[in-house]
Amino acid sequence: MDNTIRLPENVLAFARLELQKIADELEGIKVVVLATEDGFDIVSAVRDGSDPSRIAAMASSISAISTVVSEEANLGDSKNVIINTVSGFAVMQSIIRNDARLVLNAIANEKAVLAHVIYRTSHFANSLLTL
Amino acid sequence: MKQIKFIFTGPPGAGKTTAIATISEFPPVSTDVFSTDSLSKLKDTTTVAMDFGQITLENGQKIGLYGTPGQRRFKFMWDILIQGGLGLIVLIDNRRPEPFKDLAMYLDNFSEFIEKTDAVIGITCIDIKDTPTLDDYQDFLKERGQIYPSFAIDARNKDDVLFLLNTLLTCLETS
Ligand SMILES: Nc1nc2c(ncn2[C@@H]2O[C@H](COP(=O)(O)OP(=O)(O)O)[C@@H](O)[C@H]2O)c(=O)[nH]1
Ligand SMILES: [Mg+2]
Repeated sequence: MDNTIRLPENVLAFARLELQKIADELEGIKVVVLATEDGFDIVSAVRDGSDPSRIAAMASSISAISTVVSEEANLGDSKNVIINTVSGFAVMQSIIRNDARLVLNAIANEKAVLAHVIYRTSHFANSLLTL
Repeated sequence: MKQIKFIFTGPPGAGKTTAIATISEFPPVSTDVFSTDSLSKLKDTTTVAMDFGQITLENGQKIGLYGTPGQRRFKFMWDILIQGGLGLIVLIDNRRPEPFKDLAMYLDNFSEFIEKTDAVIGITCIDIKDTPTLDDYQDFLKERGQIYPSFAIDARNKDDVLFLLNTLLTCLETS
């Protein structure tokens, strides 16, 4: 991977630990991926064989399109995108740090509770902003 | 009159976003974000979903202009963006180390689409690096048995981009 982004080591360590916890503690999580805004995966916890690099690229496209939509509608900055499906959902949470523009992606099956996942992903985002 | 949809593709930095902005009659929809890989040495941003602009020809024909991300990791967007498209404009950056390999990659990945529709090729940045030449590209295409029109263009120049568009329209009319 020729990605040149360098997050501080304490941020990376926190992300590794916390993403693994989200994957382990929340029922129904298939995969969580922390990625750059331009679609490179940085840290991930995979439970279902998903490819984090594909998820990172897709999260990047969807986040960018949601930014365009929220600008067009004068809704202010896009915070997250939720794709709700018949058998689960995907949550993409923007995390804009001073040193890096990131997207956190959580994909879950129908056993997961959307509110729980959003609570954990927003909490993770806030922590990354203060670290 | 039915709107025509054309798709711009090619490697990062070839000028897809610029070409669409150069000719679009409204400020294009852009999904560029800051790049974090080695591309950032060349330019600050990269397209991660799509560009979208529009141009209306003198006869009233509207053409929707869609730009793809250049990187292969966004291939799923290529497959979305070609839907309903009538032609492909491949921009190739002559500065890059292996422009033929770039050209082959896009022609291969869009082969099904351009077999059904048509394609033109624009070589950019020949002002910065003048080899390979246009003749070299035409030889390369002939060897592959893909005789698509190819021209040297500057994506910042309106007449150049319009010329590509008109060539593609002519190809479609005559095929
Ligand atoms: N010198 C030179 N610069 C060009 C030419 N065509 C495009 N550019 C520049 O190359 C860059 C292309 O960037 P962009 O449009 O974002 O490329 P994309 O990744 O294909 O969308 C811009 O800075 C353009 O101004 C050309 O023919 N000559
Ligand atoms: Mg672009």
